[in-house]
Amino acid sequence: MLRAKYQNVIDDLLSRYPVKQSALLPLLNLAQKEEGYVSQAAMKEIAGILDLTPPQVFETVTFYTMLSLKPIGKFHVQVCRSLMCALVGADNLLGWLQKHLGIGVGQTTQDKMFTLSAVECLGSCGTGPMFQINDDYYERLTEEKVGRILEDLRQTGDCAMKSGPFLL
Amino acid sequence: MKTFDPILLKNMQQPGYTGSLAEYERAGGYQALKQVLAGVPPDDVIDLVKKSGLRGRGGAGFPTGVKWGFIPKDHPGPKYLCCNADESEPGTFKDRQLMERDPHQVLEGIAIACYAIGAQTAYIYIRGEFRLGAKILERAIAEAREAGHVGADVYGSGVTIQIYVHAGAGAYICGEETALLESLEGKRGKPRTKPPFPATHGLYQKPTVVNNVETLANVPHIVKRGSDWFASIGSPPKSTGTRIFCLSGHVCRPGNYELPVNATFRDLIYELGGGMRSDKPLKAFIPGGASAPFLTPDHVDVQLDFESVALAGSMSGSGGVTAMEEGTSMVWAALRLMEFFYHESCGKCTPCREGSAWIVQILQRIQNKQGRREDLGTLTDVCGNIGGRTVCAFGDAEIAPVLSTLKYWRHEYEALIEEAETLNAGRKAKDIPVLSVS
Amino acid sequence: MTMPQTQKTLTVTIDGIRTQVPDGTLVIEAARRVGVMVPHFCYHPKLKPDANCRMCLVEIEKIPKLQTSCSTRVADGMVVRSSVPHVEAARKSVLELLLGNHPLDCPVCDQGGRCDLQDFSHEYTPTVSRFKELKRVFPKQYLGSVIETQMNRCVSCMRCVRYCDEVMDAKALAAVGRGTLTQITHWSGNELECDMCGGCIQICPVGAITSRLSMYDYRPWMLKRTETICSFCGDGCQITVQRKDDQLIEVNSALGAGRNNGDLCARGYFGYHAGAHPDRVQHPLIRQPDGSFAAVTWEDALEHVARKLLTLKSAYGSDAIAGLMTARCTNEDMYVFQKFMRLVVGTNQIDSSARYGYVNGVRALRRVQGTHRWTVRYEDVLQADGIMLIGTNVHETNPITALQVKQAVKRNGATLMTLESLLPVRSTVSNITTLSRHHLTVRNGRFDAAIVGLLKAVCELQLVNAEVAERAPEFVQTIQAKVAGVSWQTIHEQSGLLQRDVEAAARAYGQSRRAVTLVGQDVLRAVGGEAMVTNLLDVQILTGHLQREGSGLGCLAEENNEQGAIEMGVTAEYLPGPSPLDETGSTAAFAQAWGQALPTGASATLMHVLRRAKAGDVKALFIVGENPVASLPPDAAVTDALDALDFLVCQELFLTETAKRAHVVLPACSAMEKDGTFTNTEGHVQPVRQAVEPVGESRPDWEMFSALSVLMEHPIEYGDVKDVFKEIRRIIPGYGLLGPASTPQPVNADVVARYVDGGFKEDVDRRYTLNQPTPESQGGMTLKLLQSVYHSGKYSTRAKGLMEVQGEGLLQINASEATRLGVKEGDAVCLSNEHGRATVSVTLNDRVPDAVAWFPEHFDEPVRPLFSLTVDPQTHVPVWKTTHVTITNVNDRPAGEGEIHDVMSF
Ligand SMILES: Cc1cc2nc3c(=O)[nH]c(=O)nc-3n(C[C@H](O)[C@H](O)[C@H](O)COP(=O)(O)O)c2cc1C
Ligand code: SF4
Ligand code: FES
Repeated sequence: MLRAKYQNVIDDLLSRYPVKQSALLPLLNLAQKEEGYVSQAAMKEIAGILDLTPPQVFETVTFYTMLSLKPIGKFHVQVCRSLMCALVGADNLLGWLQKHLGIGVGQTTQDKMFTLSAVECLGSCGTGPMFQINDDYYERLTEEKVGRILEDLRQTGDCAMKSGPFLL
Repeated sequence: MKTFDPILLKNMQQPGYTGSLAEYERAGGYQALKQVLAGVPPDDVIDLVKKSGLRGRGGAGFPTGVKWGFIPKDHPGPKYLCCNADESEPGTFKDRQLMERDPHQVLEGIAIACYAIGAQTAYIYIRGEFRLGAKILERAIAEAREAGHVGADVYGSGVTIQIYVHAGAGAYICGEETALLESLEGKRGKPRTKPPFPATHGLYQKPTVVNNVETLANVPHIVKRGSDWFASIGSPPKSTGTRIFCLSGHVCRPGNYELPVNATFRDLIYELGGGMRSDKPLKAFIPGGASAPFLTPDHVDVQLDFESVALAGSMSGSGGVTAMEEGTSMVWAALRLMEFFYHESCGKCTPCREGSAWIVQILQRIQNKQGRREDLGTLTDVCGNIGGRTVCAFGDAEIAPVLSTLKYWRHEYEALIEEAETLNAGRKAKDIPVLSVS
Repeated sequence: MTMPQTQKTLTVTIDGIRTQVPDGTLVIEAARRVGVMVPHFCYHPKLKPDANCRMCLVEIEKIPKLQTSCSTRVADGMVVRSSVPHVEAARKSVLELLLGNHPLDCPVCDQGGRCDLQDFSHEYTPTVSRFKELKRVFPKQYLGSVIETQMNRCVSCMRCVRYCDEVMDAKALAAVGRGTLTQITHWSGNELECDMCGGCIQICPVGAITSRLSMYDYRPWMLKRTETICSFCGDGCQITVQRKDDQLIEVNSALGAGRNNGDLCARGYFGYHAGAHPDRVQHPLIRQPDGSFAAVTWEDALEHVARKLLTLKSAYGSDAIAGLMTARCTNEDMYVFQKFMRLVVGTNQIDSSARYGYVNGVRALRRVQGTHRWTVRYEDVLQADGIMLIGTNVHETNPITALQVKQAVKRNGATLMTLESLLPVRSTVSNITTLSRHHLTVRNGRFDAAIVGLLKAVCELQLVNAEVAERAPEFVQTIQAKVAGVSWQTIHEQSGLLQRDVEAAARAYGQSRRAVTLVGQDVLRAVGGEAMVTNLLDVQILTGHLQREGSGLGCLAEENNEQGAIEMGVTAEYLPGPSPLDETGSTAAFAQAWGQALPTGASATLMHVLRRAKAGDVKALFIVGENPVASLPPDAAVTDALDALDFLVCQELFLTETAKRAHVVLPACSAMEKDGTFTNTEGHVQPVRQAVEPVGESRPDWEMFSALSVLMEHPIEYGDVKDVFKEIRRIIPGYGLLGPASTPQPVNADVVARYVDGGFKEDVDRRYTLNQPTPESQGGMTLKLLQSVYHSGKYSTRAKGLMEVQGEGLLQINASEATRLGVKEGDAVCLSNEHGRATVSVTLNDRVPDAVAWFPEHFDEPVRPLFSLTVDPQTHVPVWKTTHVTITNVNDRPAGEGEIHDVMSF
């Protein structure tokens, strides 16, 4: 349960807003980080913390695409498919990923390592094609880079090719 | 184009600049905040910004000083500043760079704005995907708080300025200022009906200013160097200062370029962006993010300022410029953007909710060679029934790609429809494959 | 039209018609006033404008874009056009877009024929659609057992979700997903948990949310409607009963009508089948020598009763006969009953279910302020800036009163104080304590200690009104001295309340400008209830609120006509009016009005009557709709009393536990089957109208008394029920000035003066002395019987809709108690104490405090043996809904088997 583990974080979040409900997205982000998705138990607990009803929490969850109601793979690969990335090869990128991972869009690999999604613009249009894996952006991707990234993640759980703050 | 000394990107273009507090201070950071807190009355700060001619960089180009001036002075309760860091407009990626590379510049702008409008609390609403940006900002806020640039009683002036980062969770519409407020209040990000406006009934129904990251980042410079200096840059009196243009698409050097707004698209695309990446010439460009109508090569000599772009029949919007080379299907391009809008419509207004789905279905059919003769009329009509009939400007935005491509490249639509007719001639209706919206 | 002077009026021209409207009027409302109906879906006068459907667009001069008339306020001189071509084109387009994804299943839609989408489409759209794409399809869903959703029909106006939030404050509905894929559900596939008020069904402009109770049973134009009053609780909602032939199809309520203004609760919305239950008594029944009942004719039955009553009267005197009546009857039934008992039978031994506690409140009000009704009404609740709810889970017992409180807090920013025995936890559904600024959880039912605490805080925090202190120094000083003698420590020990919490609430109350107190069952139905209400009135006096405009105290009636029962004189201490029975003046006045001397024998309360029956002093009992066998615990020995009778007549809808013991059962009409009036908890007298034909041979109660009076040669006759009401109005001048705005009774200044100048001294010692707390047995739990929002007494357990929603009694405990007991949702537990044992299933409810368990009183049969009775020495109110038990886990025996009583068998 969130409260047991993150009481300090929760207190800090609540202290930021004059109205408790404002802490909803931060808490949902926390819950998703904790479990990989937003579980019913988490929604109930968050509702309790914020004096909301579970339906209020639920409807908010379903509005935001980053929040998932189902468990997903350890690495969530989200490929930007919007026009700007599409102009520079987003569709190819999706193709490479499907080939490397052996799954289609919206699917999770059997080992529960990777879930592949096509998403709309991630605010990285000058450095496409790109994807986000969990918290990290990977930009100006080529097929070769994609292979290395997936391999690194599989092997070490991390990859040095993620973008740092030094864009461009 | 004559060389230009950047304002916002200046620090980060220094080799080795990491955006730490020490470096920012060394570059003259937080001087402006000190200056105003040392005794410039808030109204004078507002006046200064008004005189500078600074206009919002979030898309609508509203004069920033005027917006600040709308905040009721004698309001007894709390007031808020929201920094709009939702940056979700396809084609736009400047705020990300400002936050990741020089976060204190943004924070200083926020702090000055808070002081000017009398807000003790500012929230930076950053799109959920920008995890790195959020982390960097959080760290910068901690540094600034430690150093006394923000927090309670800043520099002993008695002024309290608290800044918090608030991450979204994936919804383009939360960039719309009232949707942002709803989202920040922990609800579904559905835009509010206006009036009342945020200036009087904003966050928690309290007076609130919402400003874009880039807008706020300009503020310390205006304070430091004066409104006259700022107003002399660009194409005064209406469009002053510089803007960061986000260049993307089929160009050699995509990226963020800060330019005075009297430069032209030609300067941006050909000079800074290095021109088209292949031997194919420019076919079309979007001058101001996905919401802006497409323009043609005939428009490359248009200036980048709000008025000139509007005169050319589009808008300068968020500053996202996307160039497309010859050979790009305009039907496909419009469809891609329309799919984005369909996916992102919050669903509040009937025309936008139902219309976006309908348009996407028609475009998908046309693109897949199942178009019908009457489709173009229907498309125009449905777009006409969305524009101007919705709660927020999303409705006007989503029809831009369709209407503008129909205007300049109608023949591409017609060609696809003709192909469909040839293909389907003789087929029974039930044999024509149907598509479903993904 | 005339406007209040203070409000600015604005001139607006709509489609060429000029009119004046008050400042703040929405364009759509201004248009309605001049007869221009602007089509709309999302607008609803109860809800804040959301302007999402874009159907109500109009042209406003000088504004370039079309504007939504539902969210635009009139500005002075505004010129609006609603029927110009481009406005109509915009409407057509909205309809075209809505219909694009709509399944067009009107032939099987329950809304067909009264659907806004149908009507507007009929008016605006062409018959051919340009939409030739695939429609999005949502599977049909059941939102719980009584609500169905067909999201394909939804127009996304969000009225349901907004209503659930803004009006009901339940927040049980969720708009899920985004864009065209938005749909209305509960949450995450869970079965709908909410108050089941039916509001979402009522407010849906199309057929997207419908009732499963009447699914596919009708077409709206087949329905005949009757406006009447709900018979489930004291709020007295106006309902529209819709029937097809003689089949009940649905109940709804009209915006602007009645005290409820279009809102209902589950009982009102889904409970209408109660009277239509197949078990209704259809014919008069007479007990045969072999103990069985035989159906007889009305003549035989009435003659039998008349003869029996006359025989017993002549053999033993009039006071060998007594009468009990339920407060569910109409005023007319009650008035004729007491008149029958007093004039024909000749006894004052009459009592009603108001004895179960409501009478406590009325007695206190009469004593201190000289009224028997609220001195405020719903409108004042809405205007109040301080509201105290004490001892009431008002949201469950009086849901419509609760709505006024919610609106006062949500819209007008009133400060809410709640003193309850529940915890302020929000479960799946929101509840009123979430709106409460000061929630005080009162332990052990010790509201007496809580109230003394409030008084102590008022005195110590100098919240005593200066004028009052000057005007009634002795009163103030006496109370100050009294509360000084009670320590905060004692108050804490007994009620669990902390000094600072009580002080905060008292301060908020004392500093309000308009303060309303609403008192509920935990106070009224307790030993010392009258004293507690008196002490609450002391709070009002001390804080200067008693005589202040807009401030006042109201007692919440649980049954629909408890107020009427007292006003009609069906309570031991009162004649109609209510006039006290013991005052010779009023007795004489009645003798004159009725043209006959009143009986001189003593009155008798319910408990007296039972005692006298058991002792053999009362030989015959006339019980109308009341069921003491099931309403009192075994140690009340009701069955002994009834078995000792020579003659028991029951006038009933069903063969209740009590009626089963009768010698004669007379079939009575339910409230849906007769005309008359009910008086709601606020004192509004409202017309009850016949909506369906009487079941079987049943007849309205008053007719039976009238017929009996004739047979007993002492005729009390009326042409029809209206004549009864006319007589009531003659006896009680001005009774029931029907209409929405009848003014509340003013406080009687003379009575108040008498009270503060000395009257208070009579029992001030007793009222300010806190009894020792009842020692809690080691490891024991408090078991409380409680009312649920889904039921009303036992009557509603005959309503099939409500039984779908809540069909059995589950023991409610909180999660930590469950963990302690090692049980989970649905497990069986055994309850036992010195009186007996019972096995019931458990459900979790975090509003229940530790060491407490709740059980819904409507299903109390299995647990009733665990309770014992205490009778209030002053007011003879029987109190028994709390007991102590030991709970043990019988996890190994699955629920539904073994010892579990069949709660449905009566
Ligand atoms: C659909 C929509 C999306 C928007 N997204 C953004 C955004 O991502 N970032 C932003 O700064 N402004 C965005 N805006 C503009 C804001 O509503 C608002 O005008 C802006 O934040 C005001 O700041 P400014 O005056 O500094 O430009 C959006 C507007 C609309 C209608
Ligand atoms: S125009 Fe679209 S995005 Fe904007 S409020 Fe309406 S439905 Fe939502
Ligand atoms: S009624 Fe005005 S927008 Fe729906």
